[in-house]
Amino acid sequence: MNAKVGIPIRVVENRAPPKDYVLGGGLTAVLHEILALLENLSAFGEGGQIDLRSLPMAPGEHDDLKNALGEGEVDVTLNLGGPTRCRETAYPGVWWVEHKDPAGATVAEFIEIAFVPELLRPEDEDIRAGVRRLEQRLRAGHATTGGNSP
Amino acid sequence: MTLLDFARGPGMNFALAVFVLGVLWRLVGIALLNYWRPKSEPRQGWLRAMMGGALATGTRSWPHREFIGRTGYGELLGYSYHIGLFIVILFFAPHVAFFKGLFGVSWPAMPSTWIHLIAVLTLTLFIAVLVRRVTNRVLRRLSNFDDYFSWFATALVIVTGLMTTGHIGASYETLQAWHLLSVELLLVWFPFGKLMHAFFIFPSRAINGYLLSRKGAAS
Amino acid sequence: MTDQHTHRTIGEALDASGVSRRSFLKFCMVTASMLALPPSVGRVMAQQLRKAKRPSVIYLSFQECTGCLESFTRSFSPTAENLLFNVISLDYDDTLMAAAGSHAEAAREKAMKDNWGEYLVIIDGSVPMADGGVYNTAAGKTAHQTLMEVVEGAAAVVCVGTCASFGGIPYAHPNPTGAVPISELVTDKPVVNVPGCPPIPEVITSTLVHYVSLGKVPDLDEHGRPLAFFGNTIHDRCYRRPFFDQGKFAKSFDDEGARNGWCLYELGCKGPTTYNACATVKWNDGTSFPIESGHGCLGCSEPGFWDKGSFYKPLAAGTYTSAEKIAAAAGAGVLLGAGAAVASRMKRKSRLHETDREERS
Repeated sequence: MNAKVGIPIRVVENRAPPKDYVLGGGLTAVLHEILALLENLSAFGEGGQIDLRSLPMAPGEHDDLKNALGEGEVDVTLNLGGPTRCRETAYPGVWWVEHKDPAGATVAEFIEIAFVPELLRPEDEDIRAGVRRLEQRLRAGHATTGGNSP
Repeated sequence: MTLLDFARGPGMNFALAVFVLGVLWRLVGIALLNYWRPKSEPRQGWLRAMMGGALATGTRSWPHREFIGRTGYGELLGYSYHIGLFIVILFFAPHVAFFKGLFGVSWPAMPSTWIHLIAVLTLTLFIAVLVRRVTNRVLRRLSNFDDYFSWFATALVIVTGLMTTGHIGASYETLQAWHLLSVELLLVWFPFGKLMHAFFIFPSRAINGYLLSRKGAAS
Repeated sequence: MTDQHTHRTIGEALDASGVSRRSFLKFCMVTASMLALPPSVGRVMAQQLRKAKRPSVIYLSFQECTGCLESFTRSFSPTAENLLFNVISLDYDDTLMAAAGSHAEAAREKAMKDNWGEYLVIIDGSVPMADGGVYNTAAGKTAHQTLMEVVEGAAAVVCVGTCASFGGIPYAHPNPTGAVPISELVTDKPVVNVPGCPPIPEVITSTLVHYVSLGKVPDLDEHGRPLAFFGNTIHDRCYRRPFFDQGKFAKSFDDEGARNGWCLYELGCKGPTTYNACATVKWNDGTSFPIESGHGCLGCSEPGFWDKGSFYKPLAAGTYTSAEKIAAAAGAGVLLGAGAAVASRMKRKSRLHETDREERS
């Protein structure tokens, strides 16, 4: 973002937490919340979302949470005017959803407990519009031409 | 102007001015009374008399053996909460910052968790002191407005301080305003009641000891 | 700048711009997160917004430094900005619009006429009232006149920045232009204050999106600020709070304590008395905020923050400064004391003489 203006910036990625900071308390609390939502998903099919922005975290805690949850088998990137990445964690049903803007900066992060993240599921209206488009195309006899969305 | 702005600004200014005026009024007024001019034949030199004075300051700070049974509890309570108050007032970091703002000098502060503990203990002892005053037959008859109001003004400072640092009861700026205002009330009341013992206590013991020692009397 | 199709719903405008439902849902989820609303509201917001009509927005700038508009448009998320400009129809902004002079004013008047009673007015800057309000004039009218004219047909007013919300820099002592906050002049319309010097961009945009999608102003505190962003103090959400509680403070910039990230209370941080979202939403897309970068909070979203004493003196230190008053009090005390002592001694002497006389007689 600032690279466009030519100001030299050194981004420190792995910021260590303040020396005396006691880590772990907040992490345990979040993991308990995830567990509760996951149990609910398993029993009743209803999960939930945790907005990471609402939890004030020291620089180290965020990475600790990510490490604690680990990585799973599914890694999906959506192009929604800026990439949105939905990664399954080591716990099936627990997804790490990271929204970025076109410049690559993170604008929101959620932990979503669901069978499939909400954003992956197409909207009903979009499916209906797709049905109309495909019907039209078949009627017009253009089965072989490219079919990107208008 | 918000309540906090008033408490940090003109309120504190006024309270400090009244405090300084009142304390100097009483100290100078008493010092110039000349009551401590010796009126009898000296039986000891002034140096031994001074030493006697110094000794008396110490010996009069604790009751004689015969009286400990009756007064020991009260003395212990009193000393304990005084020490607690001094520690909290002088070594809590925001207070050190306050004195730095006032006098320009600062000193190391104690860890805040210790101060919180001591403050709670002090408040408990302070309440015990009031209970003693009200339940003890003699004290109850001797107590007057000065006693109760001085207790109240000090207790208010401790309670509002604990509320502020614990962030309980109201928003932080309101709590801080109440705490400062309670300190200002204490400062304004200070020179006109028994709280002046803070300035009188050691000089009066020293002077009495000096006078008696000079006369050759035991103290 | 006037959009010919303000009768279109936002959904239609988005479709025309090629913004997919999914992209819009992402925008709404991010915005709901900003507004500290539960994540599920993002979907509701997306549905409502798509059905809503694009409101006409008139942006007025008075006694301001343009920092708030810079914050509003200096978005690191061009998509969010684009989306916002799809959500609202910014019909007048004298800094951003291409038109100037009488053409610009005509555009404003048309937008007002076409949307009377429904348009949103966003204001930055305070309004000077001294000397008939001459210190801020444009198009031959004083700021006060323009304000009252434009606000008459508004549905709601959003004051962006501390100058519009509370008077800000122009209002600071001695306030030579007689600057006043907007809320002192506009009393018959809903007014939302979004203070800050400047406010966090996401706070501004999220407040607007809340209004457009849910049709009403968000819940406000006693200063008219959205509770979602101004309900907690910086202190309440500061990651350095454990150090405050333990009493570990940095004593000067760049000392050992500062390097260890200790609390900045003694360096004048006004976090405990400042309500804003800096500690959670942060600045520059969540990069950092003043305390995280090592400087205490200035309290810039509070009324009168320029006049609350030094930025570098702690809250405990106070704002009283007159040593002369204390010295005068000391002098008075000494005089009173001396006077009292003299009077007392004279009385004692006269009483002694009386007793002497009585004994002799």
